Amino acid sequence: MTGRPRATNTNKPSGNMIRDSALGLVPETLGHYMALNRNIWESGPLSPAEIEMARLRNARKVNCVFCKSVRYDIARADGLSEDRVAMIEDDYRDSALSEREKLILAFTDQFLNDPGGLGDVLKAALLAEFSTQELVHLSMVVAHFSGFSRCAVALGGMPDSLPIMEISLPQ
Amino acid sequence: MGWIGSGNDRDQTLRVLPDIAATFDVLYQSLWTQPHLPAGILELCRLRLAQLHGSAVDMQRHDFEIPSDKRNNLTHWDTHHSISAAERACLAFTEVYAMDVQALTDEHAAEVKAHFGDEGLVLLVEALGILDGMTRLSLLWQFPAHTSEQSAVGTSP
Repeated sequence: MTGRPRATNTNKPSGNMIRDSALGLVPETLGHYMALNRNIWESGPLSPAEIEMARLRNARKVNCVFCKSVRYDIARADGLSEDRVAMIEDDYRDSALSEREKLILAFTDQFLNDPGGLGDVLKAALLAEFSTQELVHLSMVVAHFSGFSRCAVALGGMPDSLPIMEISLPQ
Repeated sequence: MGWIGSGNDRDQTLRVLPDIAATFDVLYQSLWTQPHLPAGILELCRLRLAQLHGSAVDMQRHDFEIPSDKRNNLTHWDTHHSISAAERACLAFTEVYAMDVQALTDEHAAEVKAHFGDEGLVLLVEALGILDGMTRLSLLWQFPAHTSEQSAVGTSP
């Protein structure tokens, strides 16, 4: 983990956390990136709490300190408590999470660990629990947040730890 | 056909979520037209990710036309004469990114910035996130590779 940012946005601050980050150096893509982020949260069939579970599982696996520290307000409003967040650990299979929630985490792990190795048992369980639209949504959730967290890590400047921060969807 | 729905490729699969598909498509297309990193280099990095992940579907895909000499010698990009110093800097960054993003160093980033500045580095990192994610989904969705070398979907000029 590096403490030094590898790219710096020296533009005049706008007050928008994302636009003022290094990502703001590439306005040609940033607006589209943020539009996709909004649609990921608001235009798919999975609930905000379910999206947040996949996002946090990815954040922990990729070890993005910033992503791990963030809690989206809409996910909390949807019922995702810190007690449930604490269950998103490697032993989640033995936790009190629902089978549906465990499948969300299993899918996320498959994407991160071995995307080409999905077996018949997990595939059948996913098809039994989720609709096609839900599976495509979950796929895009995981791909999107995986890319975002890797982006944050790759650009450096990540502290060793951060307190929990509740945020709203960036505009 | 993949297992996740009736789609046989990325575009068909995403079609069940039209709003997300539309915004993703606009973002994806913007990667190939932005001014900070040549689209040809981005295509090399996308193909290298596909090689490292073992995704035949993504190896067959053509998002931007590049010389066949570069495409055919991508496995030994670090020594082949067709690959420029700027391309090597981006490919070196891509390889480490794919294997362990935490292992990227300031030196990897500095090599990219020496050619393309801070903006080029940010674009590369942003693009790799999207390209890596979609390569993983191609594998996870278990799309079949074409039997002959042909373009799946692309924006080649």
